[in-house]
Amino acid sequence: MLLAGGQGSRLYVLTGDMAKPAVPFGGKYRIIDFPLSNCANSGIDTVGVLTQYRPLELNSYIGSGQPWELDRMDGGVHILPPYQSADGAVWYKGTANAIYQNIGFVDLYQPDYVAVLSGDHIYKMDYAEMLRCHKETGADCTISVMEVPWDEASRFGIMNVDERGVITEFEEKPKEPKSNLASMGIYIFTWAKLRRYLVDDEADPTSANDFGKNIIPAMLKNGEKMVSYRFEGYWKDVGTLDSLWDANMDMLMPDSGLNLLDSHWPIYGRTPSCPPAYLGEKADVGNSAVAKGCTILGEVKNSVLSTRVTVGEGAQVSYAVLMPGAVVEEGAQVSYAIVGENVRIGRNARVGAAPEEAVRPEDWGIAVLGPGTVVPPDRIVPANTMRDRHHG
Amino acid sequence: MNEMHGIIFSYEKDNELRELTTQRIHGSLPFGGNYRVVDFMLSNMVNAGIQDVGVIMHGKCQSMLDHLGTGKTWDLSRNRGGLRLLPAFAYTESRGGDGRFRGKVEALGCVMDYLKEIRQDYVVLSDSDLIINLPLEDVLHEHLRSGADLTAVCTSRPGRTDEIYFRTDADGRIVDTAYRVEKPEGLRGLNLYILRTDLLIRLVSECVAHNRYSFRHHILQDGGLHLHAYVWEGYAQRIDSVRSYYEHSMDLLQPEVRRQLFDAARPILGRDRGGPSSYVDPSGECVNSLVADSCSIQGSVRNSIIFGRVSVEPGAVVENCVLFDGTVIRSGASVRHVICDKNAVINGDQTLMGSPVYPMVIAKNSVV
Repeated sequence: MLLAGGQGSRLYVLTGDMAKPAVPFGGKYRIIDFPLSNCANSGIDTVGVLTQYRPLELNSYIGSGQPWELDRMDGGVHILPPYQSADGAVWYKGTANAIYQNIGFVDLYQPDYVAVLSGDHIYKMDYAEMLRCHKETGADCTISVMEVPWDEASRFGIMNVDERGVITEFEEKPKEPKSNLASMGIYIFTWAKLRRYLVDDEADPTSANDFGKNIIPAMLKNGEKMVSYRFEGYWKDVGTLDSLWDANMDMLMPDSGLNLLDSHWPIYGRTPSCPPAYLGEKADVGNSAVAKGCTILGEVKNSVLSTRVTVGEGAQVSYAVLMPGAVVEEGAQVSYAIVGENVRIGRNARVGAAPEEAVRPEDWGIAVLGPGTVVPPDRIVPANTMRDRHHG
Repeated sequence: MNEMHGIIFSYEKDNELRELTTQRIHGSLPFGGNYRVVDFMLSNMVNAGIQDVGVIMHGKCQSMLDHLGTGKTWDLSRNRGGLRLLPAFAYTESRGGDGRFRGKVEALGCVMDYLKEIRQDYVVLSDSDLIINLPLEDVLHEHLRSGADLTAVCTSRPGRTDEIYFRTDADGRIVDTAYRVEKPEGLRGLNLYILRTDLLIRLVSECVAHNRYSFRHHILQDGGLHLHAYVWEGYAQRIDSVRSYYEHSMDLLQPEVRRQLFDAARPILGRDRGGPSSYVDPSGECVNSLVADSCSIQGSVRNSIIFGRVSVEPGAVVENCVLFDGTVIRSGASVRHVICDKNAVINGDQTLMGSPVYPMVIAKNSVV
């Protein structure tokens, strides 16, 4: 069960028209390709995708599920928006309520175990391995955790575990963390057990119907067997514009754990048919990802270019993430920026700036242009600003 | 309803594609970084609203079968109609031939049952080796307007002598059809025809009954039909030799050719293998080249067509080359005017050089 309903309010310029998991990522992907591909590679053949905020883009993207081989006779991928029942229609009140409202869907397949995943994390993980751990330990709930730097631990949901990895305590954003094992928001439950807790949680009018706030604490309190599963590898919550930019840049780093060309755990996605990228006579491209359909006539350094991006002659692009269909016209400069789908940056315009150019370091930040923004020629969009197509 | 049905001929015929066709027929030859040659005609058909396409195959068609699959790439995987694969098994062998079709009519005669099931009124007949992006609906429109029995798509650009040349009157009616003439004149045929389905069936039945097999000879020249020429002045090239393959691959580096062939409103659809974007390393250099996805460019690439999953290692030099899927050019190697078939590996101590008019071809899976 993949939670993909998030509005992604902290990504707001980019998510005006779409749910966060539908945001393009890494050149040829969208964020949701990562958990979906993890499912496919882990042998999970039945996936429910819970959506409610601006689902159109996500629905049409997932379609039949064919790119992830989730177009199955039995099972496959199902989009699960809130629906009208005899008692009326209710929005998903929280993550647990979203699953509660779809108990009927899960019951159709009579699974022994259910994985609850988040649709906005970038990582490569074998859920089959985690399930093996869940079965071996006989846990009711297994939670994937990873070590985070101690000074950042107070930003996460922290798991305190004993020497066998059994979870003894869960603290949401503790001021003084006792451990640096952070929950990654990836759970495997024994379905019969989770089903009971979901029903009980729904009956409690004071509950926020949330996994982290209600279900997990309730299970711990009742002494259910909760086990941690340690994940070592790349994982990033791309819920903020900075982290989204960071994760894109990580794709260009050979040792980040998220290397672009790593083929042992493929990420699948749906891409339109377009011709190969054309790199022109004067193109100067270095340390960059270039997807098919691009036309590059200028300079591109340390950047991620999605499908159908155009960079005109004399234009300079550095440390930028250019989403599908973005156009950088002749002589324009783009640096330290996220440029949304089908943005047009006019001749000689400047978008974003390098950190060293900031007058006060604390004022510096990446520049972000929402989908469809048009930046007129010669216009300057300074660092640390956002524009969308309504406020160009 | 004036709807069209597509038939693509994809069987072995004499050509000079050398090593490139030892394991495939020309239609399934990789072309333009992302495509196979047959993708162009299939996409033309689909873009013209054609819903049913038959591909007549014979000979080394495994790679073609793999490529076409269910037809999903072109949206031709349908419950009713869609893509129909027509491997005409050993028809001529049973008649004592060498296993090749003597002509298109003979090939059509082998699939008569299929022809009779066609539910559209008009049929487009095409070879699979044409690189073109043309609106077939316009051809049908002109065919209907002219009232002809058969319309042949032609170009005014000259070609070789062993092609069909038409002379026309002022209305575009074909008054003479010539083949292998010393001095070609008139319009050059592109082996692309539209005619009524019932007429096609009648012509093929009559020809088969009289042991006639050649579309050119027995239908165009001796058929007594009202023929009309549709003149196409856009890009149209046939792939029938290593030289033409190389030349027309390099054509794609011209913006005008790309503009014509890769029109976003009439996209050429090719099978997408998935996979990440390509990566150009800081030490790499890549200019005036087409690059498909999932490549690693660490060396120097110029004036080349790079297919998917190609690796050019640091210090390697690639100039004026066509590198098929999975080619590896090791550090220190240098290749110029070379076509590397799939998964070829060129080791570091190698300097390979072909000529623009006689490019070197490295066979599939070879290690040099």
